[in-house]
Amino acid sequence: MWKLLKIELFKIFSRPRTFISFGAIAALVGIIQFGLKLDGDSYIEFMLRDVSVSLDVEGKVLNGYLICFIVLQLLLVHVPLLITIVAGDLISGEANMGTLRLLLTKPVSRTEVILAKFGAAAIYTLILLVWMAILALFVSLLIFGSGDMLNLKADYIVQLKSFDIMWRYLAAFGFAAIAMLTVAALGFFLSIFAENSIGPIVATMSIIIVCTILSTLDIPVFNAIKPFLFTTHMIGWKGFFDVRVTADNEAIIGSVQNLNRVLQAAGILVLHIIGFLVASIWVFKKKDILS
Amino acid sequence: MQPIIKVTNLSKHFKKLIAVNGLSFSVEKGDVYGFLGQNGAGKSTTIRMLLTLIEPTEGSIEIFGMELKKHRKEILRQVGAVIEKPDVYKYLSAVENLRLFSQISGGPSLNRSQLLDKLEMVGLQERADSPVKTFSQGMKQRLGVAIALVHDPQLIILDEPTNGLDPQGIADIRNLILRLSHAMGKTVVVSSHLLSEIELIANRLLIIDEGKKMVEGNAAELFDPANTIVELNTIDNKASLAAISDSSWQANLQPSRNNLIVLKMHRQQIPLFNRHLAEMQVDVISLQPRLSLEDYFLQVTTGKQHVEAFKD
Repeated sequence: MWKLLKIELFKIFSRPRTFISFGAIAALVGIIQFGLKLDGDSYIEFMLRDVSVSLDVEGKVLNGYLICFIVLQLLLVHVPLLITIVAGDLISGEANMGTLRLLLTKPVSRTEVILAKFGAAAIYTLILLVWMAILALFVSLLIFGSGDMLNLKADYIVQLKSFDIMWRYLAAFGFAAIAMLTVAALGFFLSIFAENSIGPIVATMSIIIVCTILSTLDIPVFNAIKPFLFTTHMIGWKGFFDVRVTADNEAIIGSVQNLNRVLQAAGILVLHIIGFLVASIWVFKKKDILS
Repeated sequence: MQPIIKVTNLSKHFKKLIAVNGLSFSVEKGDVYGFLGQNGAGKSTTIRMLLTLIEPTEGSIEIFGMELKKHRKEILRQVGAVIEKPDVYKYLSAVENLRLFSQISGGPSLNRSQLLDKLEMVGLQERADSPVKTFSQGMKQRLGVAIALVHDPQLIILDEPTNGLDPQGIADIRNLILRLSHAMGKTVVVSSHLLSEIELIANRLLIIDEGKKMVEGNAAELFDPANTIVELNTIDNKASLAAISDSSWQANLQPSRNNLIVLKMHRQQIPLFNRHLAEMQVDVISLQPRLSLEDYFLQVTTGKQHVEAFKD
């Protein structure tokens, strides 16, 4: 099993196209950082336009923590595509190349093949998120410095103390990892049915787009299904940036306003991952390899 | 002696299509077993069932005396295979591909020098570090064979191993198969739709058509050397035909469907006939025994792919 996992990782990281995702994230984060470095004050002014009349905001608002939050909001919607490019190709790409049949004539079980391939996709996803964290959080802190972070909600503002932020990002990236693994599991599951990688990639993205639209549509008839859509829970990472407050409206350090909801969302995503993985094993074990 | 492969009443249905229909055969240790049939006859489906790529609809497969379904891993550790095109990872080099598959083939782990020895066996040692995407089809085929042999398996299953090879490549693979069988005692199952290929290497044959066994047996028996067809081409075929018609070989003459002179004789008589031609001072361009098995093959298969336009 470990041998297979190492082989899968070797295959993933031997392909130049794997590094497109790393390049794309570096480019996108760089563009956002560059834009905010040049004209960040206008952006902050625009963000605070509704509250500036009643609230006097002082200090360094545009700091590395806020930049990371902005980057995550903008990019986590697009990262699934980069993950799907690899996860959707893992079985279908091998079927297309003709290597799947050679692989399956070796003394390894199909369950081991699935687990090793998904394990490799998971490691790729985690490395991609670590890369994103390095660029979005640590490089932003280097460029823009540190400070308290303002999190603008619809009808209130959360002010997070600078010393109370780093653990929230660690938790948020952990949650994002679960969300992205759900996408990887879906792409991987769909790749079992196809003999070229375009189909699963397009299908995965289509499902994500449709489910995201359903998750955000404010039409009562769709409300019943929203809790069951994984896309509803993919933005649960934001929950770590909401704090509980005292009677005097003071933020409680180290608190999360609705931790149960965040954990529930993570749990639902984990169930999706397990579901897709079990389905992948079940389908793949029964599949006749005709490619 | 227990057969290496024992297939009993094997069938595979794809919805309404019956790809393999009640097939039974056995392969003995040390055999070069030729698996013949036209395209679509069910050879690849059968081979894929032997390699657990396809689940049989019914029937049983025993390899090395063990039931394939129950002892899959144990059996596959001793099996090497090339299935149709030997596609490998094009973005990796030959030696990387070989190392990768050797790690999961169940054999001992090999160092670079041992991997290079395996590549040398198929004539690829010079290109060991070249990416496979730069390889010709023939080189990929050789690499596929090296991958099949990397863990020193007892049973080698080759599905159309000479597809896409040039004549030299075909001869090399043929010699390699013979060496594996004769010098190394391996059991080899080779499928092909080309009779000429199988005829030169197989000691036992199975001919299938529309998923059914048409005939199985010893290649020498099936060839029937007593009825070998010989085609003669000379500088002046008209004069040569007249000369043969006036000789004792007249009874051997057969109707010709082309400009060549056709005779039927026992294979052992061919050298005698050749001497006689020399005595008659016939200027021979070629004297070629036509594969008698080819006629047999076409006779037992339906010949459905031979549309009118391609008939002699």
